[in-house]
Amino acid sequence: MSGVGPVEPGEGTRARDLAEDGSPPLPRPRGRFGQWYDRHRRGALAAAAATVLLAAGGSVYLTRPHAPAPAPPPAAPYPSQVTDVTYVEPVATPKGVRPRSFSFAVALSVESGPPVTVRSISQPYPGISLTSEPLAPFTARAGGARNVVITMHVTDCRKAPESAGLPFLDVTLRNTRAIEAHSYILGQRYARNLSTALQGICKHRSR
Amino acid sequence: MRQRSLIAITAALAAGALTLTACGSRDSGDKSSSGSGGTTVTIGVDAPLTGDLSALGLGIKNSADLAVKTANKDKTVSGVTFKLVAKDDQAQASSGQQNASAFVADKSVLGVVGPLNSSVAQSMQKVFDAAKLVEVSPANTSPDLTQGTNWQTKKVRPYKSYFRTATTDAIQGPFAAEYIYNTAKKKKVFVIDDKKTYGAGLAATFTQEFKKLGGTVVGTQHINPDTKDFSSVATQVKNSGAEAVYYGGEYPQAGPLSKQIKAAGANIPLAGGDGIFDPTFIKLAGAKSTGDLATSVGAPVESLPSAKKFVEDYKAGGYSEEYGAYGGYSYDSTWAIIQAVKSVVDANNGKLPSDARAKVTAAMQNVSFDGVTGKVSFDEFGDATNKQLTVYAVKNGAWAAVKSGTFTG
Repeated sequence: MSGVGPVEPGEGTRARDLAEDGSPPLPRPRGRFGQWYDRHRRGALAAAAATVLLAAGGSVYLTRPHAPAPAPPPAAPYPSQVTDVTYVEPVATPKGVRPRSFSFAVALSVESGPPVTVRSISQPYPGISLTSEPLAPFTARAGGARNVVITMHVTDCRKAPESAGLPFLDVTLRNTRAIEAHSYILGQRYARNLSTALQGICKHRSR
Repeated sequence: MRQRSLIAITAALAAGALTLTACGSRDSGDKSSSGSGGTTVTIGVDAPLTGDLSALGLGIKNSADLAVKTANKDKTVSGVTFKLVAKDDQAQASSGQQNASAFVADKSVLGVVGPLNSSVAQSMQKVFDAAKLVEVSPANTSPDLTQGTNWQTKKVRPYKSYFRTATTDAIQGPFAAEYIYNTAKKKKVFVIDDKKTYGAGLAATFTQEFKKLGGTVVGTQHINPDTKDFSSVATQVKNSGAEAVYYGGEYPQAGPLSKQIKAAGANIPLAGGDGIFDPTFIKLAGAKSTGDLATSVGAPVESLPSAKKFVEDYKAGGYSEEYGAYGGYSYDSTWAIIQAVKSVVDANNGKLPSDARAKVTAAMQNVSFDGVTGKVSFDEFGDATNKQLTVYAVKNGAWAAVKSGTFTG
């Protein structure tokens, strides 16, 4: 032979070479697995088929176009966007409060989302201090309104405004999303009542 | 036996693979949209699409366009396809009135979004009201448009066909005064306006509140909006000892005015309303505009979860101009018209009635939905019930929110 054909097998290298006496070769000695396989050939083949099937199925499953992952839950709203503070009416000043004080009620409500903590309530004018009942910090939950009594104390009539057209309260709010300072402009009724109270307390002001 | 096993296995594998392949392709079907049919309803837009204020006007137009496209894509009103027609008023009352007449003449128009300028709105209101054609402005802030000329003493709604999603100068001016007096601690201001409906009105509401708080107005002046040389008034400001300037007007004049006041030697902040709240103001005013202030309608977009989708969709829409100060309000104004049309169609067995304009105008009063800018609905005057304001300051060459407030009165 010339060329590059396969190398011919030598003696004893073929699986079914005859024995020297021409008798068929003895069965190859079988290991435990071989013996088990001989006994359970059909079952083994079925198991192998099932394995291949699972592998193929898995491959198809993994390579199929996937539906987009479910969107993450929406972030909690900013507290100022779900919290409302509205003017209710003048109320009696709590006992024990210093003279030159006046009180009014506001309704604080949270429309939706996680609870909102009122960290502080203040007002912008010089010459006036403010306390609230309940005292900040306090928490309001979605769905209900709670009354908050605001008491203002005039510390210096020369600095306090005689009147204000559009007064507001500054409220610091916090929820799981953010902490925000937000102004609530309480409207004309509040403006009128505030001006009346200030003018009553500071009758003899000199500016 | 072996052959039978192999055949069985092969058959099982093939069947399994085919089954799984079929499962895998289940969701890949092409969902082509069917064509929309039925009635075409036109929504008009009137805004300054050219000229100095076009940055705001084009943002209004684009945002209205986005709302219309969204409604058509989602088939918000069954059997109705919306079409947008935009007209340029060049911020001129006469052009606005001509546009209003043209919209009225087009019977397919069932609502108009706009205008930007209160002075233009005044010229359009009567035309629309006579035709019972609803108008929803995203930007007008002059109180008398909804509450009458004597709004400070007796509120009377002049036109039932006029609505707006922006809040008014009755709140904006005083809110600015409160901030400048109490927070910025400026007690002496020089007040300037451009003599126009919006500018003069805003300056008046600011001045009234600033004085009430105890502040002093050390000087007042009017400018001619057709010029850009404000050196004379800048010198007056410098000599007045003012700690701040309040300007009632718009950014094309406010920018150069701020620059020239600083150049005159008065290194004090200029404050104004939503009319100066635009990036163009900062470009015109230059580097020394840091610290200048503007109030604008609404809360900052980034604090509104409802605005996130609008911002994304606007970006995806490929509009070449910014949506600007009134984009969200313009989208909501357009959506309010769409919702009003929807309620009329729903109440009429899925069809537009013959008196659709009057019915849409009436339906607008009861429109209520969660919009880009929050809850959208209207009070008895046609004003937005959602009244939020924000004070912005120029920081690092951009507007940054420094205080937000909500009117709850």
